Amino acid sequence: MFSLRGCGPCVAASFTKKHLPLLRFIGDSAAPLSTNFDVVVIGGGHAGTEAAAAAARCGSRTLLLTHRVDTIGQMSCNPSFGGIGKGHLMREVDALDGLCSRICDQSGVHYKVLNRRKGPAVWGLRAQIDRKLYKQNMQKEILNTPLLTVQEGAVEDLILTEPEPEHTGKCRVSGVVLADGSTVHAESVVLTTGTFLRGVIVIGLETHPAGRLGDQPSIGLAQTLEKLGFVVGRLKTGTPPRIAKESINFSILNKQTPDNPSIPFSFINETVWIKPEDQLPCYLTHTNPRVDEIVLENLHLNSHIKETTRGPRYCPSIESKVLRFPNRLHQIWLEPEGMDSDLIYPQGLSVTLPAELQEKMITCIKGLEKAKMIQPGYGVQYDYLDPRQITPSLETHLVQRLFFAGQINGTTGYEEAAAQGVIAGINASLRVKRKPPFVISRTEGYIGVLIDDLTTLGTNEPYRMFTSRAEFRLSLRPDNADSRLTFRGYKEVGCVSQQRYERASRMKTSLEEGISVLKSIEFSSSKWKKLIPEASISIGKSLPLRALDVLKYEEVDMKLLAKAVPEPLKKYIKCRELAERLKIEATYESVLFHQQQQIKEVQRDEALQLPKDLDYLTLRDVSLSYEVREKLQFSRPETIGAASRIPGVTPAAIINLLRFVKTSQQRQMAVHELPRTDQSLCDTDRLEERQL
Amino acid sequence: PPRSCTRQGSGAPAPGSGATIFALSSGQGRCGIAVIRTSGPASGHALRSLTAPRDLPPARSACLRLLSHPRSGEPLDRALVLWFPGPQSFTGEDCAEFHVHGGPAVVSGVLQALGSVPGLRPAEAEAGEFTRRAFAHGKLSLTEVEGLADLIHAETEAQRRQALRQLDGGLGHLRHGWAKTLTKALAHVEAYIDFGEDDNLEEGVLERADSQVRELELALSAHLRDARRGQRLRSGAHVVVAGPPNAGKSSLVNLLSRKPVSIVSPEPGTTRDVLEIPVDLAGFPALLSDTAGLREGVGPVEQEGVRRARERLQQADLILAVLDASDLASPSSRNFLDTVVAPAGAGSPNESSQRLLLVLNKSDLLPPGGPGPSPNLPPHLLLSCLTGEGLDDLLEALRKELAEVCGDPSTGPPLLTRARHQHHLQGCLDALGHYRQTKDLALAAEALRLARGHLGRITGGGSTEEVLDIIFRDFCVG
Repeated sequence: MFSLRGCGPCVAASFTKKHLPLLRFIGDSAAPLSTNFDVVVIGGGHAGTEAAAAAARCGSRTLLLTHRVDTIGQMSCNPSFGGIGKGHLMREVDALDGLCSRICDQSGVHYKVLNRRKGPAVWGLRAQIDRKLYKQNMQKEILNTPLLTVQEGAVEDLILTEPEPEHTGKCRVSGVVLADGSTVHAESVVLTTGTFLRGVIVIGLETHPAGRLGDQPSIGLAQTLEKLGFVVGRLKTGTPPRIAKESINFSILNKQTPDNPSIPFSFINETVWIKPEDQLPCYLTHTNPRVDEIVLENLHLNSHIKETTRGPRYCPSIESKVLRFPNRLHQIWLEPEGMDSDLIYPQGLSVTLPAELQEKMITCIKGLEKAKMIQPGYGVQYDYLDPRQITPSLETHLVQRLFFAGQINGTTGYEEAAAQGVIAGINASLRVKRKPPFVISRTEGYIGVLIDDLTTLGTNEPYRMFTSRAEFRLSLRPDNADSRLTFRGYKEVGCVSQQRYERASRMKTSLEEGISVLKSIEFSSSKWKKLIPEASISIGKSLPLRALDVLKYEEVDMKLLAKAVPEPLKKYIKCRELAERLKIEATYESVLFHQQQQIKEVQRDEALQLPKDLDYLTLRDVSLSYEVREKLQFSRPETIGAASRIPGVTPAAIINLLRFVKTSQQRQMAVHELPRTDQSLCDTDRLEERQL
Repeated sequence: PPRSCTRQGSGAPAPGSGATIFALSSGQGRCGIAVIRTSGPASGHALRSLTAPRDLPPARSACLRLLSHPRSGEPLDRALVLWFPGPQSFTGEDCAEFHVHGGPAVVSGVLQALGSVPGLRPAEAEAGEFTRRAFAHGKLSLTEVEGLADLIHAETEAQRRQALRQLDGGLGHLRHGWAKTLTKALAHVEAYIDFGEDDNLEEGVLERADSQVRELELALSAHLRDARRGQRLRSGAHVVVAGPPNAGKSSLVNLLSRKPVSIVSPEPGTTRDVLEIPVDLAGFPALLSDTAGLREGVGPVEQEGVRRARERLQQADLILAVLDASDLASPSSRNFLDTVVAPAGAGSPNESSQRLLLVLNKSDLLPPGGPGPSPNLPPHLLLSCLTGEGLDDLLEALRKELAEVCGDPSTGPPLLTRARHQHHLQGCLDALGHYRQTKDLALAAEALRLARGHLGRITGGGSTEEVLDIIFRDFCVG
């Protein structure tokens, strides 16, 4: 699929503990390379790198196949990571010891937490990233990951064999065929090919097949997938032009400075690589009526906008903004592409007009009057595979041991891709070890929300994370991703390092201790008022107030509280993260109690597994309408909880499904009875009481 | 500290456990005793709250207790109460039962009292939610589960009809209006959270949401004050008399109610509105509705009557379909058989089906001793409203049908539906109050989500996609 353009040699780098020096296999067409791996990951983008590294962390011998090693970790679109919702995903990827958060802490040029004034549950960690540094640091990380081998190669086809009888699926993948005819055998394969499946680039009325600009699309593999029976859809996206930095008049624009201090993305970092004063600013400008005119006058020259391929409901391009919200000024953020880059990325100006019109449009924007366009904006149309064809572990229903992650599943964004990558990598590895899959519930993380939405609802627009998608938003916060996921990652799958695990354990202990101390300190409200005059505590409440209640006041933080009650509180302000997390726990304490109840109810339904081999279309003695059967057959929900979230599946249908859960549970119960020791002890007493 | 000791062992919900549900579990109609049941970790707490200052009765033994409202202390009833600690209970969870005197005032008083206990909420589908819990705790056999789907279906249907009745007309529009306002306010707050910083939402988004919430709060509290003053909902099975024009529907209504409530005339289209009469039918309380003859009509007034008749048909617990026995071949009779009788009769448990009795009136016009009206007709009864012949058979058939309708607790007496609605409206109002008080925007949005959840229990809807649709419609974001 990825043609090797002009570079004859196949480059592969392998780093295991035994072979520390960089190994380069020189690809020789006369002697095709043939090797065996546990996990093969196809694609070196944000999903691919995370998947490959995660599989290797889990102990699988992993091969990352990419068309070019030097594009590993490439940020193909915006020069930033994180944001609201997306930042949440990154914290969770990091909690599972994923890469992108740590790499961002080493590569950012402008760190800023969004939503600072709106409550810590929705803080959005975000940074402008130096593209070059990110790529360098990511490649360094990938090429130094034990058990991970990197090889250049274009995948032309999948090797398919007989399915394992104990699993569903019509065949099993056992390797890949490269363009040079060589084969690589693999126990699991993760496909992370992004927009490369039948990608088409559009500028004005011109279209030409390609993935990202300058790369070739993969048509062979797309055909194979279609032949296997995968349902394919088409999406479109776009990217703005790039502008020469020195041609912009920043002096008349609004400047946005980074945070001081910078908040790192990763739990294991105290700080980022660069001081706030050395970071680069962003600038804000706006469109004007002239921009609207140029867009509207030239719609006939803009095939990307006219065509029917589904775009999102949101407004990714300047054309959609102008068309749907006319007569408004739209924001354009001028973002640096890197420390020593002379390019500026105009966020919000994604456009597919012919290049000369793009330049004309740019120069009528304030501050860009003399701007030089270095590269035009363009649109991309590409195939994605309906994500209802994969399980929550990201394995496909059709082909055993084949996993999909990233844009191929209909998502957009680096963070969404990275999140799927980690999960696909972990599960590809677990599958090889014949261990049960690692699934994150939507009650546990944004990763769970993302994957549950995709696998139960599907998507017909590029799926992007928003915090409004998470029903348990107050529980799934950026600050507590480690306590939600790090322990699971360490104990269940081993994808988390000892160091990170110990750090998370220490933090957990300190937090629990801190909260119980804060609960134990009680004074009257008038005494608190005297101790902390800054707080707007209303006197007159007869009940004493706990320190934890006082900490709930917006104007009170741990520092203030520790000043008022130095013993025993002062030890909790030594660590910035601990003090902040205690404050956050206090803020949400009362609501979290209720949220825990709701979470319990959802988890109860999710604990009810549906048999994987159910043929919903032919299931007899059950009254399910044909419509419901079709929906269930396509999405193949794994639990009653997931089934109940599929639109159109009625409560009555759910009850019928419960019967099957019951039957299969009874089968399992026969093997081992559920432990109920304390309850059975009570039963004897109760029987004596019976008087009815 | 001693403060916490007083609350120890009170059965207050343990952290992390599911909600406690309550529902009326006996049927409506003439029962001397009504059984109200709770299930969940707060059951013990609820039982204590209503029987204060007495302690929990011994497990599984009936005790006589004075029930009073936990907040006002107002006495409600002297009732038998039972305490079933889990797992030795119907659902496997802690359960309590209150056997109260069956009057609507008492039942509704106890339901409201339970609703005021923290951690308790009305069951979503009365028997269904209890049974699901029983199922989850391994308390049901497979055969019992077989019937559950039908039960849930029946319940959903009954509730749908019940809700249609309650949401009919002005009140329904009002509530749907509230839900719309609330969803929009929530969408705007969510947009402010997800997009406020990088994208330009216009000025004043939050301020507008605030004022919408404020207005909603006022409307809701005014409505709840009104509702408490006692808007009486008529109990009983809804029996709707329907048929083509001039089949004798009004004559049947008059016959069954033994008083002339409908004007009867040989002229088709005499009844143009829906008349509703509370009657005692074969020993069961029922609301008998006379409707306009179904025909594609003449004149806007009659058309409106036909529209209302069709609407009423959807809400019926039982349809009395009336045809002129001597006029079965006419287009209006055929049409009625096809559009009303056939769909109801053809219903499998999986489709939406309604109870229906087909009555062929004017049997006195049939030639004596001649063949029956038509062998192709579905099961039917012959009646002459004029002579009264066939009335006994009809009453017997009604008795059977109504026994099933009224004996099934899932049919949901209106007072229970009203209690549920009030519970959720109050919950919505309380949540809106929290919205106003919190400064943390994530918490404020949570309050709106909670409020919308409550309203959604009444009006339906409430998906995240709905919110996203509004965000992307109202704001230029992305």
